[in-house]
Amino acid sequence: MTTPMPGAGSPLEDANTAGALMLPGSDVTTPDAAVPVGRRGSGGFADVWRRYRRNRLAVVGLVIVVGLVVVAVLEPVITPYDPAEQNLAKIALPPSADHWFGTDVLGRDLYSGIIYGTRLAVVVGVSTVLCSLLIGVTLGALAGFRGGAWDAVIGRVIDVFLAFPLLLGAILIVGVVGGGISAVVVALVALGWMTTARLARGQVLALREAEYVEAARSIGAGNGRIVVRHILPNAIAPVLVYAFTNIGVVVVAMASLSYLGVGVPPDVPEWGRLINQAAPYLQVPGKTHLWLAPAGAIVLTTLGFAFVADGLRDALDPRLRGG
Amino acid sequence: MLRFVLRRSAQAVLVVVAATFLIFLATFALGDPFASTGEKVVPPAIAAANRAKFGLDQPLVVQFGTYLANTARLDFGIDFDQGRPVSQMLAETVPNTVRLALVAIVIDVLIGVTAGVIAAVRRYSVWDVVVTVLSTVGIGVPTFVIGIVLVVNVAGWGPFPAVPRGFAVEVPWYQEVLLPALTLAAVDAAFVARLMRGSLLEVLRADYVRTARAKGLPERTVIGRHALRNALIPVVTYAGVSLGVLFGGAIITETIFQYNGVGYLLSRAIVNSNAPVVIAVVVFSVVAYVFLSLLVDILYAVLDPRIRLS
Amino acid sequence: MRRSSAVGSAVALTAAVTLVLAGCTQRSNQDVPAGADGAATTAAEYPETPDQPRVPGRPGGTFRLGIVEPTAIDPYNAQESEGILVTKALFTGLVNVRPNGEIYDGVASAWTPNADCSQWTFTLKPGTTFSNGEPVDSAAFKRGWERTAARDSGSAVSYHLNEVAGFDQMQDGSAAALSGVDAADPNTLRVALSAPDCEFALRTAAPPLSPVPTVAGPAGNTAYNDLPIGNGPFTMDGPWRHDTGIRLVRNDTYGAGPKANLDAVELTITPPDTGALTEYNGFNNGQFDWARMPVPVQAQARAANEPKNQWISKKTAGINYLQVQVQQPPLNSVAARKAISMAIDRNAIAQGVFQGSQVPATAFLPASFTGAFQDGVCDACRFDPVKAKELAAQAGLTAGTRVAFQFNSGSNHDEWTAAVKQQLERNLGIAVDLTGVPFRDLLTNQRQPTATGLFRAGWSADYPTPSNFLASLLTTKAIGAATPDDVANGDNRGRYSNPVFDELVARAVATPDVAARNDLYKQAEKIAIGDDLGVIPLVARQQFRLVNTTTFGNVNMDFWENPTLPEITLR
Repeated sequence: MTTPMPGAGSPLEDANTAGALMLPGSDVTTPDAAVPVGRRGSGGFADVWRRYRRNRLAVVGLVIVVGLVVVAVLEPVITPYDPAEQNLAKIALPPSADHWFGTDVLGRDLYSGIIYGTRLAVVVGVSTVLCSLLIGVTLGALAGFRGGAWDAVIGRVIDVFLAFPLLLGAILIVGVVGGGISAVVVALVALGWMTTARLARGQVLALREAEYVEAARSIGAGNGRIVVRHILPNAIAPVLVYAFTNIGVVVVAMASLSYLGVGVPPDVPEWGRLINQAAPYLQVPGKTHLWLAPAGAIVLTTLGFAFVADGLRDALDPRLRGG
Repeated sequence: MLRFVLRRSAQAVLVVVAATFLIFLATFALGDPFASTGEKVVPPAIAAANRAKFGLDQPLVVQFGTYLANTARLDFGIDFDQGRPVSQMLAETVPNTVRLALVAIVIDVLIGVTAGVIAAVRRYSVWDVVVTVLSTVGIGVPTFVIGIVLVVNVAGWGPFPAVPRGFAVEVPWYQEVLLPALTLAAVDAAFVARLMRGSLLEVLRADYVRTARAKGLPERTVIGRHALRNALIPVVTYAGVSLGVLFGGAIITETIFQYNGVGYLLSRAIVNSNAPVVIAVVVFSVVAYVFLSLLVDILYAVLDPRIRLS
Repeated sequence: MRRSSAVGSAVALTAAVTLVLAGCTQRSNQDVPAGADGAATTAAEYPETPDQPRVPGRPGGTFRLGIVEPTAIDPYNAQESEGILVTKALFTGLVNVRPNGEIYDGVASAWTPNADCSQWTFTLKPGTTFSNGEPVDSAAFKRGWERTAARDSGSAVSYHLNEVAGFDQMQDGSAAALSGVDAADPNTLRVALSAPDCEFALRTAAPPLSPVPTVAGPAGNTAYNDLPIGNGPFTMDGPWRHDTGIRLVRNDTYGAGPKANLDAVELTITPPDTGALTEYNGFNNGQFDWARMPVPVQAQARAANEPKNQWISKKTAGINYLQVQVQQPPLNSVAARKAISMAIDRNAIAQGVFQGSQVPATAFLPASFTGAFQDGVCDACRFDPVKAKELAAQAGLTAGTRVAFQFNSGSNHDEWTAAVKQQLERNLGIAVDLTGVPFRDLLTNQRQPTATGLFRAGWSADYPTPSNFLASLLTTKAIGAATPDDVANGDNRGRYSNPVFDELVARAVATPDVAARNDLYKQAEKIAIGDDLGVIPLVARQQFRLVNTTTFGNVNMDFWENPTLPEITLR
């Protein structure tokens, strides 16, 4: 399907979707083409995995993501020091045998801090995206399947939330909810479900009229059953791709908020916070590790998830691979 | 066409009102935003003036109406710190942010489009690899990291003004805007490059391009006249959305470079718990974004007649 | 199985690495790196730098520095060193103060008390004017003092006039003039005090006692607040541009002393939370000629600049301490306060966060008051976690008790307050709610009758006498609140109150003999600090600055920790 969806309103919505996907694919990137249409029987998990494996960047991304998750899970065990333990006699030491990444501005072991930050990033990233997924898919499916007033209202709600720039809105929400990590999650979820909703809606709209749905109806399957068992599994593909990109976006957003001093409390070694605390040392030679380590961690995480999303997109839609 | 414009405009207004209501709800309904919040204690004279202006003793609906009316008149109250009208502070900072956004967009579209076209046209060549790698890494680096690297190493060197600098130092706007614009453009250019490359590749596979080639047209004409125009559509769309986002104020970049735009105004207002300013900047950002999206929508409809008719 | 190759190896590798690491349990991070003396009882000090050698002045030059936005530059309310910097440039009082605390003539050429120090007579230099031409006579001083002392002035520093007869009447609104100030003779100012003070002349150096012209109007005149017109060596070049900057230019009609050398002074206003960092960066990139620096880079800054003679290090007449709200739980008992004090390892903070550049305090009065200083009078200023726990139990300061702790952001306090919080939580088991707020809000919060807990505080002498510490910060009168439910307008915002202490201080102030006076000050400090611990002294105040001595000469730190603007000259 390459024409604008009937009743979709502005195709800009789809373009926004693609833009917000922030990951124009390696081969094709036009908005419509970025919405792969899953066809029943186009390949089970084995096929998808085979296609995925052929993309080297995607495999690298997967390794990174798996590594991050493992590190996050094992954090209490693999940190050589307590990440929060300060020692004011050891401020900003360069990397050494005792401290592989050196120490930070409060004398905490930077390596342990980075690992703790990984745990934070993974937990916040995944939980935020999961919640966004839940809300977005539910609302999007509702809008797409019911159409009419549901679609109009949900569409406008999406527009309203989209109107808030991410950081500004997050700062406002965190301020209202009160600080802390949970406030950050709430804020990022509140500002992150819209694109998922649009994607889900687009998919549901496209598939609503597909033959196998008619077939299912003809044998008496109810609406709910149709949605859950037939439409959603196929609709989930672009949503999943977007979700992976979104984890990277969430991690950067949280780091940006802590860099501004919003959300994460000052004594928590979160990546953005570490960069914020390194400010007085930026001009001092020999202290590059203070900001390079957390910045590198952020870049690595974002790229890892982006590669996975890239690879997933290509793997899930064989029609797009070629040329 | 006119009906389309009217319909979209009406939707835009609705969105702005709804968003303003949310902002209103968040701050006003949770209690008097102009009173002490524990940490911030406001001079009673200023608090009283603000309360009266916004009618905070009235029922919620009336309050919202007053707030809307005040906002429509661009009256955002008096700021807490200096007692100056917030609209005046906005008037000083908005032009700077607009300038920054425009310069950033121009830079990143130029770089991104050029890189993307080269990579697509010279596929599998060194250029393609370089562009792909750079643009891939580029999307992963957070803006504030780029900003930090630039402000530490580049500011004060050559045409780039020093950060920080004395307030009395006269710096022409086109110099002041350079480094922040480059910071913002860096990440966006990566996106645009990838978008352009992919889009052009897709278009180059289309039938009409094959036809043009079969007709014997030189490659340059094929690409320049036929393929590029269509391939640019998603790029234009993205740029429009990006511009709308930038108009809202790039808070981190402006703060790093101490660039006197709405983003910097906001970050200082947050530190000072200066509620009227915070509210005003958020409302402004929302309006700017919605307005820009509307413009892009209309532009898109002009370019693609199928949209108008749907 | 081929399918699992990449992912499988990723998992395996990560698991292997981490399992190896998992074999190590977490180590303690409390070791001290080689080369540092972990058990030092004396802090490595940063020696003071000598004054810059005097060079002859010549007109010219623009001196640039950064400051955070002051609370006020109008003399009626100038209170912190940033505001005082501007006010002292724009106004000259009856006397001036040298950096070491000596006073010399300002507008007054002579000042004499009567026998019991209850009356003072100031002889003014004739013919000096404000920059707008109005005469600076005794009426101008009376006008300025009354403007500050008026009940509706909103001044937070009017208490500097609290010894002048008629002050209380002005404060409660029953009088519109200071009955004790006689300005009948334009060249003589006669002041009657409500309580004898043999050091009153020192007070007249403080900004609130500046003269003002008639155009000043009442204290609430915002036009004058933003563009004060004074009689000092500099004048405003345009109004105060809030959040942006203040520009001063030389006053060529200055009559109360030698004219300034600099053509102009540019004060750039820095962001509230990164003031010191902005100044430091500004100095390094050549934009500022005078700068503070963030504590973490102190050693670095000193190493880079001291060899070039661009480093100033001065022990100032000041103290960094914790103000305690003594009327409110949980710190309303001596035992609780001493528990807190003994749970703080001042040495570790001095060595660690301040890298040896600040000295732990053992008294409240700074050592510069050689006659009145008692080393060790603060017996709770030593680190004794065991005793601290005992006292805490005694005071009901149980585990989990929440104690609030506020500090002003943007002035280098983030690290050491975080360290104090950690020490208190670790050594006493209490929970410390640490928050950083802009300076003006900190003051406002401290004033509220409902304020509790600890506040970071620093005090630099307004005038060089122990009474400026003891009377201004610890007497009942200095609270400035008529009832416990009122806002505290004075500087004793912790609300410590002890009538015995009050009486000792009052007697000291009225004693003409210096030795006897100092003895009384000592007794007073023993009560307020030794016995009651009304405030918790932390570290003696020492200030460091980076200075552009390549371009400018005669740059020193004045009594208020600001650059000596009237003397600075281009080389």
